[in-house]
Amino acid sequence: MVFPSAGEKRFDMELNASDPKKVVLQGNEACAKGALYAGCRFFAGYPITPSTEIIELMSSEMQKAGGAFIQMEDEIGSACAIIGARWGGKKAMTATSGPGYTLMQEAIGYAAVTETPIVIVNVQRGGPSTGQPTLSSQEDVYQARYGSHGDYGIIVLSPSSVQEMYDFTVRAFELSEQFRTPVILLSDEVVGHMREKITIHDGSKNIKSGTQKFVVSPHADFFQGENSLVEGQLHDEWGRRIGHVAEQSGRFIQNINKKIQDNADRIADIRTYCMEDADIAIVAYGSVARPAANAVKLARGIRDERILPKLKVFRDLVKRGVPATMHTDYSHLKVGLVKINSLWPFPEEELKRSTQNTELIIVPEMNVGKYCREVERVLKDKKVISMPKSGGDIHTPHEILDEILKEAGVNE
Amino acid sequence: MRINVRFAGAGGQGVILSSVLLAKAYGLGEDYNISQTQSYGPEARGGACKAEVVISDENIDYMKVDQADVFIAFNQMGYDKYIGTVKKDAMVLINSTLVDADDPAYYRVPATQIAEEMGKPFVVNMVMLGALTKLMPKLHYPTVEEEIMQNFAASIAGMNLVAYGRGYQEMEIELEQRGE
Repeated sequence: MVFPSAGEKRFDMELNASDPKKVVLQGNEACAKGALYAGCRFFAGYPITPSTEIIELMSSEMQKAGGAFIQMEDEIGSACAIIGARWGGKKAMTATSGPGYTLMQEAIGYAAVTETPIVIVNVQRGGPSTGQPTLSSQEDVYQARYGSHGDYGIIVLSPSSVQEMYDFTVRAFELSEQFRTPVILLSDEVVGHMREKITIHDGSKNIKSGTQKFVVSPHADFFQGENSLVEGQLHDEWGRRIGHVAEQSGRFIQNINKKIQDNADRIADIRTYCMEDADIAIVAYGSVARPAANAVKLARGIRDERILPKLKVFRDLVKRGVPATMHTDYSHLKVGLVKINSLWPFPEEELKRSTQNTELIIVPEMNVGKYCREVERVLKDKKVISMPKSGGDIHTPHEILDEILKEAGVNE
Repeated sequence: MRINVRFAGAGGQGVILSSVLLAKAYGLGEDYNISQTQSYGPEARGGACKAEVVISDENIDYMKVDQADVFIAFNQMGYDKYIGTVKKDAMVLINSTLVDADDPAYYRVPATQIAEEMGKPFVVNMVMLGALTKLMPKLHYPTVEEEIMQNFAASIAGMNLVAYGRGYQEMEIELEQRGE
């Protein structure tokens, strides 16, 4: 799926890349390949459906890339191990699903306070608890932002295709190093298990730490000749504990939040489709953005779903007058899609800009309607309709179309 | 052009693998865009299993199959469960050893019987894939053959290729008999 960019933020995939090649990969495999391309040389994990293929591929590929792979005793250990690996100078990642992600929360807060760049992949399944191992959801969208205790900033990316699973993994490493923060790649079962044809690169990209000017200093790796002190209690710039000093502690909390919040525009990645003249906008993320894009086509009467009859059986049916596919034309409905790739920090300004000419916003998501609350908060002057879906099935394009027709007052 | 293909059967019949090989053949060999998805229960064998492939010469937005243009039933359970969600003019291919359905428009291949005759009951998916390759538009025999060779270790690729060839021939004969 190609979405024209709303802003100028493009991924820079050219550095040190060999000739790109086309492959058919599963989303999870693409994630592992993307991590290796981004220079990830340490992976610790504990297998869990539907993220296991990432760990499987890492277990065989990491050693070939000259890195280390450990199957840990659990997810707490996995998250802690990658924090330690990053201190030791290796870019590090772990991957899990809901139940494991819950166990990782303490370590995520620890990485935020110690400003350790790590990447955590959560291939969402249905919850709560053991939930639905083989089905999809977007229920962890708040946990990804607020899962650990205390006030901290974090970056969350949400892919909706196999290519994005690859690209966003690379992007996650870039952002984690630039802002020295944990970055969550919030995928879901549909994207993780889907296979598509994508373009990948061999070799490795050179991603440097702390490169956002005036935001953070580069990460000081251990054993490089400098004295390093990491501290989970709030600390000053020398690493000294200041948890008992209210004023300094307040400044520290401000800093780890503001370094991300103040750069929300730089991090924001929003793609739009058919929004030029739209007065109804679907706001979607992750796998749901794809049936949403199809619903836009249905609503505008853009037809691409016709079979060209190549087989005799199709030809005979056409001769007998059976239409290949029935379409109703609603082309008077000006519907567009806003696809949010960077879920957190919430891309307030970009969302306002891209929906400024619309009156009605529909937010389909595979949970009880969580992200919609943020959309409502930012687009106060518009009518925002939540379209939640629970149970593990992704929205179909016709379900979204029906909601559009209902809200637009069109009777079929 | 967009073709929505749905496979249905039981876990362990190789339903998902045959869909993956079809997707790879179209994606890499024939240079179309593809999206392959699947759904199955927590059990490895015996449960209901569904796989879907979308083939298109445009970007694929919705990656799943709503109403199928092509439906492949590996067993009766899969047939019963999903036959209601195919388009009126869909092409239906059934494993006639296990699926009891008498619509003359259906294409049939006794895949389980052929696989058992070969003494390799697990190649049933390759027989089905062979028959399907004959039926699908813009898909060539060597393209799928290449993906089968890529997928299996050399020691077992041979029997899978034989099963694939048997399914293809079987469908050739059936199409001749039907005058298509």
